Amino acid sequence: MDDLKRRLLQRIIRTMPTQMLKTTLSKWARLNIEQQESLDFTQPKFLLTDQLLALCGESGLGVKHITELEMIYIIDNPNQRLWHAYQLLEAGDDAHSVEVTNFKEQFKVHLTELIRHVSIKIKKHTDEAVWIRIAWGDRSSRPNHLKPTYVVHHLQTPYVFVTNLTSKTMPLLSQALVMATRYSSMKDANLSGRNLSAVRDLLMKQFQQVFPSKHLQPLGKKNQINSNPQIEREQDEQSETRLQIACEAFGGGTLPELQKAIYTLETKLKDNTNKIMTEREQPFRCVVTFKSTNILESLRHSAMTGIASTPVTPMLSSISQKGRNHFLITDKGPGPQRKL
Amino acid sequence: MSLLRPLSKLPDLNAANVLLVENEEHFQQKLADVMVNEKSVIVQVRLAKSLPLPMKQEKSRPRIDLVVFIVNLMSELSLHSAEASLKHLAPGYFLGKVCFMVTNARNASVPAERMEAVRKLASALNCPLLFAEDQTPDGVTNAAERLLVILRVAAGCVPMTTALFLSNLTRCTISTEAEQQNSDYDA
Repeated sequence: MDDLKRRLLQRIIRTMPTQMLKTTLSKWARLNIEQQESLDFTQPKFLLTDQLLALCGESGLGVKHITELEMIYIIDNPNQRLWHAYQLLEAGDDAHSVEVTNFKEQFKVHLTELIRHVSIKIKKHTDEAVWIRIAWGDRSSRPNHLKPTYVVHHLQTPYVFVTNLTSKTMPLLSQALVMATRYSSMKDANLSGRNLSAVRDLLMKQFQQVFPSKHLQPLGKKNQINSNPQIEREQDEQSETRLQIACEAFGGGTLPELQKAIYTLETKLKDNTNKIMTEREQPFRCVVTFKSTNILESLRHSAMTGIASTPVTPMLSSISQKGRNHFLITDKGPGPQRKL
Repeated sequence: MSLLRPLSKLPDLNAANVLLVENEEHFQQKLADVMVNEKSVIVQVRLAKSLPLPMKQEKSRPRIDLVVFIVNLMSELSLHSAEASLKHLAPGYFLGKVCFMVTNARNASVPAERMEAVRKLASALNCPLLFAEDQTPDGVTNAAERLLVILRVAAGCVPMTTALFLSNLTRCTISTEAEQQNSDYDA
């Protein structure tokens, strides 16, 4: 148990920058003020870990409390992980009346019913979000605190954001969440990104959207700035229209930061002369990935400057309009596979 | 669709008009900002993404003395766009009133064929080919100065010389293989 405590603390301290340590520890509030002041933040981290561990022993703090420290740090710095979005489907009648304490209780009960060795910690953050930390165990092993799953859910919304979830634990979590929130099922929203608030904003459409209109709005203030009478833009109107179209497709103002857009094409060879390939069971797969520090901003810029042809293809514009960045494109025709 | 003609309008006194055509619309703005600071003549800069120019401003547009095609070697599109735009110029322009400016030529990832294509294009049209550095302010000033020299001649602001005469000296030439072999042999 002591070994686990040490390893957990070591890992938390190592990932945290030293400047953050002090504020995070005071937020944690498990150590009294004298203990906090006795810590020397200038010493190397491994010495600091030892000192902190001794203090924890003094105050009788266990693994449970240390996970709390980790949680505080993650809540303050959510952008170091890859967040996947899930959508809850078919709300029950009482889905809108779920409140925090009820949700906490229900979630814990349902999850522990499904799997015995699990450690759950739930915290309500200031911005109405419920943060859940789950350490999964096996049938025979204790919960593994070193690889916890974090779940963020805003009550009364149909979206859930998850990081570090394995396919093995996915059905368990989905079932517990669905029961606790009174929805009937949960599906992958095909959206992931490192910036939690961006992923949330994109799904909940909380960014400036531009709607089609015949009259050009004064979006292109940039062009009017250079009012030097000796410089004249011949095709000002065209670039204005391009800007309008680009903003209609991707949204105006600052756009949510997404890192990737992935398109997977699955298709079958159709050639009467080549029987072997045509009758192949597996489809051919082609994956195209766009990467950028802010993919939406990049795409908008390339549409604006005419690098991408306008009007923008629905393939690209549906990133912001449908709020997803993983797309599966399959052959048209009858079949349950067709998704886009 | 209208051709842009070099001599269809009367010139203004002590004024030079230059048209910068660039598909990316990035370097042209920087160049324009520097070029308008020229004191000896009044420089009017018009910016365009590609030709033809819109008909609407046909009346208010002054006579264009020099057309500069800016080609970013990093992008294929930039070259194609410049090639497509060339069709909308009257033949009279090619008597010394067109020049090509190439950026990013020093970049290692530029395919050699693209550079070759630009060179061939410029030499086929008897136009000068300038190389410019678009990343540093110094490079932009340099490029602007070189353009201004050509522009002042093309606008007729320099006595005793004409655009046609200058272009005979500055136009891009590629020697054919036979000539190259000869010169190697001479050396």
